[in-house]
Amino acid sequence: MDRLEQELKAALGRKDPPAGFAERVLREAARAPARGTALPQRNRPWPRWLAAAAAVVLCAGAGLGYRQYRGEVARQQVMQAFRIASVKVNHIQTHVREVER
Amino acid sequence: MKTWRTLTLALGLAAALSAQQFKFNLDHLAAKASDTVDLSLNGATLQFAAKFLDSKDPDESKVKKLIAGLDGIYIRTFEFKRAGEWTEADLEVIRKQLRSPEWSRIVGVKSSQDGETDEIYMRNENKKITGLAILAAEPKEITVVHIAGPVDLDSLAELGGHLGIPKVEIGKQK
Repeated sequence: MDRLEQELKAALGRKDPPAGFAERVLREAARAPARGTALPQRNRPWPRWLAAAAAVVLCAGAGLGYRQYRGEVARQQVMQAFRIASVKVNHIQTHVREVER
Repeated sequence: MKTWRTLTLALGLAAALSAQQFKFNLDHLAAKASDTVDLSLNGATLQFAAKFLDSKDPDESKVKKLIAGLDGIYIRTFEFKRAGEWTEADLEVIRKQLRSPEWSRIVGVKSSQDGETDEIYMRNENKKITGLAILAAEPKEITVVHIAGPVDLDSLAELGGHLGIPKVEIGKQK
């Protein structure tokens, strides 16, 4: 057995705990919170109803936004349609006037 | 049985509604055109758009009043690469779809110098105006406009002066 082995054996050898160790462990265990008890307020996850409400608000907002977008597209198309119709009517009216001269 | 009756009624209603829409067959022009613009706005779309038109804006306010009773606006523009790609026969196919007694031509102008043909048709049912059609043909472009619904001529004339276009007077004697 060389020197290294002797040192390892000395370091890893069984040792008795110091006096009062068991009492201290039991005392600390009694002070720790029991499993399943409430977490501090700031660590609590969102309640389900709040998450559901947030999802509803998000969906409603997205729906309103999409409706606004569709409305804007429809508005532009209507204005474009009347613009084309007006241009044609004016063009025809100009021709009519030219013929009448 | 009741379900079938409801379904039949719904189909009948849908057929009646679709009959009011753009029903000119312009496939013969689409086949020849290099570019086609199709702007189709049915009654529901017009009424939806009306909610988004600004009543304080003079142009949009005017348009809002005009579309109030309309069933739809349908515009098709066909562009051709070269002059002469469409013929008089192509226009005749459209004219045949604008037949009396429902349709009557109120304006017709043909310019051989410019090679342009412009016509306006009114649709009458039970002595009421229920539609307007514009046929505007240029050497490289043909536009067909169909406004479905009760179009008031005075309101149409009032389009002029708005949308940046000079005022026009249609059907009014000088």
